[in-house]
Amino acid sequence: MENKLPVLLDGAMGTMLQRSGMKPGTIPETLNITDPETVAAVHRAYIRAGSGAVYANTFGANSLKLKHSGYTAAEVIAAGVRIAKECAAETGALTGLDVGPLGVMVEPLGSLPFEEAVKLYREMMCAGAEAGADLIAIETMSDLAETRAAVLAAKEETDLPVLVTMSFDETGRTFTGCTPASMARTLEGLGADAVGVNCSLGPAEMVPIVREIRENTRLPVIAKPNAGLPDPVTGEYGVDAEAFARAMRELAEAGAEIRGGCCGTDPAYIAALARMEFPRAKRPEITGAVCTGPVCVRTDGIRVIGERINPTGKKRLQQALLEEDTDYLVEMAIRQADAGADLLDVNVGYPGVDEVQMLPRAVKAIQAAVDLPLQLDTTNPAALEAALRVYSGKAAVNSVNGKEESLRTVLPLVKKYGAAVVGLTLDEDGIPDTAEKRLAIAEKILDRALALGIPREDVWIDCLTLTVSAQQEQAAETLRAVRLVTEKLGLKTVLGVSNISFGLPNRMLVTQAFLCSALEAGLTMPIVNPNQKEIMDIIAARRVLSGEDAECRAYVDRFAGETPSGGPAETKAAPAEMTLGEAIRRGLRKEAGRLTRDALGTRKEMELVEQELIPALEQTGEKYEQGKVFLPQLLSAAQAAQAAFEEIRGSLMKKGEKGTDRGTLIMATVRGDIHDIGKNIVITVLENYGYRVRDLGRDVPPETIVREAREKKIRLVGLSALMTTTLPAMEETVRQLKALPEPPAVMVGGAVVTADYAERIGADWYAKDVRDAVKICARVFSDP
Amino acid sequence: MKIPVEEALRYIGAAEADAETRRMAEEAAALLESRLTPRYVWRAFRTARSEAGVLLPEAGITLPGKLAGSMLAECGTAVLLACTLGAGFDRLEKEWETRDMARAAVMDACGSAWAEAACDEAERGIAGRFPGMYRTDRFSPGYGDLPLRLQADFLRALDAGRKLGVTANESFLLLPCKSVTAVIGLSDRPQGAKIRGCAVCGLRENCEYRRRGRFCGE
Repeated sequence: MENKLPVLLDGAMGTMLQRSGMKPGTIPETLNITDPETVAAVHRAYIRAGSGAVYANTFGANSLKLKHSGYTAAEVIAAGVRIAKECAAETGALTGLDVGPLGVMVEPLGSLPFEEAVKLYREMMCAGAEAGADLIAIETMSDLAETRAAVLAAKEETDLPVLVTMSFDETGRTFTGCTPASMARTLEGLGADAVGVNCSLGPAEMVPIVREIRENTRLPVIAKPNAGLPDPVTGEYGVDAEAFARAMRELAEAGAEIRGGCCGTDPAYIAALARMEFPRAKRPEITGAVCTGPVCVRTDGIRVIGERINPTGKKRLQQALLEEDTDYLVEMAIRQADAGADLLDVNVGYPGVDEVQMLPRAVKAIQAAVDLPLQLDTTNPAALEAALRVYSGKAAVNSVNGKEESLRTVLPLVKKYGAAVVGLTLDEDGIPDTAEKRLAIAEKILDRALALGIPREDVWIDCLTLTVSAQQEQAAETLRAVRLVTEKLGLKTVLGVSNISFGLPNRMLVTQAFLCSALEAGLTMPIVNPNQKEIMDIIAARRVLSGEDAECRAYVDRFAGETPSGGPAETKAAPAEMTLGEAIRRGLRKEAGRLTRDALGTRKEMELVEQELIPALEQTGEKYEQGKVFLPQLLSAAQAAQAAFEEIRGSLMKKGEKGTDRGTLIMATVRGDIHDIGKNIVITVLENYGYRVRDLGRDVPPETIVREAREKKIRLVGLSALMTTTLPAMEETVRQLKALPEPPAVMVGGAVVTADYAERIGADWYAKDVRDAVKICARVFSDP
Repeated sequence: MKIPVEEALRYIGAAEADAETRRMAEEAAALLESRLTPRYVWRAFRTARSEAGVLLPEAGITLPGKLAGSMLAECGTAVLLACTLGAGFDRLEKEWETRDMARAAVMDACGSAWAEAACDEAERGIAGRFPGMYRTDRFSPGYGDLPLRLQADFLRALDAGRKLGVTANESFLLLPCKSVTAVIGLSDRPQGAKIRGCAVCGLRENCEYRRRGRFCGE
């Protein structure tokens, strides 16, 4: 494939069309139909200058951007590719289907569903391939999730080579925070044929970015810089053609093998590149890694995999999964990240939970708030694929094993989505009792992975920990297997550590001893509970002994009493004789939790709720109304009450009771509206009054809200809208809700909503602020 | 560029905040400053008049309505400006909504104040490039009768998708969430302050300050 790739690309299209007198405000791609000659002239000029490939004028030719143009994406693309092909035919230059961002943000950053983005791109890819494009050039991308959607569409719909470039700024990241390393890892995994950088910077500023990409991929690297930066008064760019070509030499040394220009460049720049001799950089050795957009974790050291997001034996998590409460999962993720985990295992398998639906939801929710790479832990191939599709970055998969069925279903998904995979050393005959037999299964898994084109460094082996109190001799076999796999196959190993000590007193001691031995045997990726300090202490010490913690810096920091990361501690000191009510009013979370635990020894759960929690929240609420305390204190109090509620909930759960449910309502920000902190604030407070809130999120279509209200027989729906442009969506939602046979009560709020407006659109309640919302809930749910 | 913490406190109605809230705001500001850099892009365009409003021919934009008409009455040049804290802010805010909603609320206000401060900084740069010219107040789509839909046109004219990663959705709301578009007129005659105050504010019906007989700019 590689020899088919061009070396010299073209320069800017937009700059040239503007110079040709394109009317401001015109959608440039429509020129393919209205003024094909102008577009052709640009292609011809680049081909004359030496371009080995020209990009058709199709950058923004997607159905969203062309919505009001009067043309379809397919028409505009067919015309654009045809023009480029006709021009290229003279010299044999290649024609690229040019594909840019959709212009709206994909979830979780935005609200366009991932599969919608794939669909929009699919339309472009199909049209381009049909019109005869020789390659696909996805460029100027900023969001890794959206870029993945485009590459997936290209790979699923065509056999054409796919060149992908993203735009990085001078901080070395894209606008959405993606690093060059993460881009390279993710896109090589997805099957791109070349990756690189375009736009945003001039050639000189691109050097460190190209270098980082180079260090993280075996693919050819592309560089298409701007002609410097534009002047805001004149619109002119600062770097001329000769200087551009000279600077490009440095980019070639850094590893750019495929070169061209972006904004501000013209055929003179390409001609200057065509005249220049470029050095070839050496290909680097690639070490393994997994990543998200912002964080790339290389597997060349000890990497801690956090095990907490797994419902086995965890009542509270089981309940959260059954209630589809992803916030709780996000909280668990944040806590492990703060404790020093490098990757997080995510397992949502539990009876009554639809994994196919829940695993991707969990992935999206966690990725919206936590940067760490995830290890998708499921035995359900459909759930695995659903999660791999939406995972933004390069994931790890837990797991495949030596069984034929597993190899056949899991490995192709690992290959398609470019993940790393954990191979369990068991097969149809169970877990072998010797290290040699486990090695043999590891070898089999590796061979099958390699045969599919999964790189060696992306296969990790789990030699399986057995409980030492039950099968004592197996502890040594597991350790020996870790050593064999490390030495004979050169693969990284994963091991669930804490299993070892099950059923013994002082479990931690045995777990620690086993962890030490396993690390000595070559284990680099222990799956542990990072919230256990004793475990992370061992990791810290081991990193010192292995030399990974250079100059013992992290170790010294850890024990100098400075937490390396994490939220600010509760600094307000609590006096010794504080009541629960006081702790809540003062927003002391830990204290509120502790006092609740103590009180539960002598008092009933609901008594505490009615006599302590609610009155304390009410008092704070009243002060807030009087302007004596402010929103942050109101929220702090609510969160302290939440800590108390968690204790009460736990206590009730132990007794098998439900209890604190004062009623369930829906909250949503209406379609088109993306500002949701106001809604989220209201939810925080309502939940701490004991109401259950189904948070449907932001930009929610009326149909979704109506369906949810109908199916769950909801009695109250809260809607928020921030801007005048989204008020019609609120009105429509209310209309549809009120058309239900048993319409729920509706409360509305948000910056531009007024009491008059609420009445006019048929809402039952207007909530001026969070206090109003609490009162409305009390009214609605007090009626039987 | 520092975050104006006092301004942020005013945004959440806590202008007379206690020490605890103030400390929270200062911590949120420090965290944001350590993680993010506000970015902006601006471009100057010639103006012309028509029945439909003030034209910016090189941008292919018409600014309809009374507000633009009166603001730009004496301006031969109008500068379009877009500014953003980037998607990093949205992510950080989500993280803190899970950690601690009180801090997230304070952080949100800090973000708004910071985006405005970044616009101020951009304006100082604009002033430096046009010595001897007078600036109007900065105003934005959604103020008075200037339609919100212009946000999408401003982004296009500034190529702000490419340059800043800012997008508008079909309701013309900007993403990342702490993003601003604005226009500033440039004139050779001094321009009085015109748009401060409640008259042009879309939130006047609901404003807590106004209800208490106060003013958010106090």
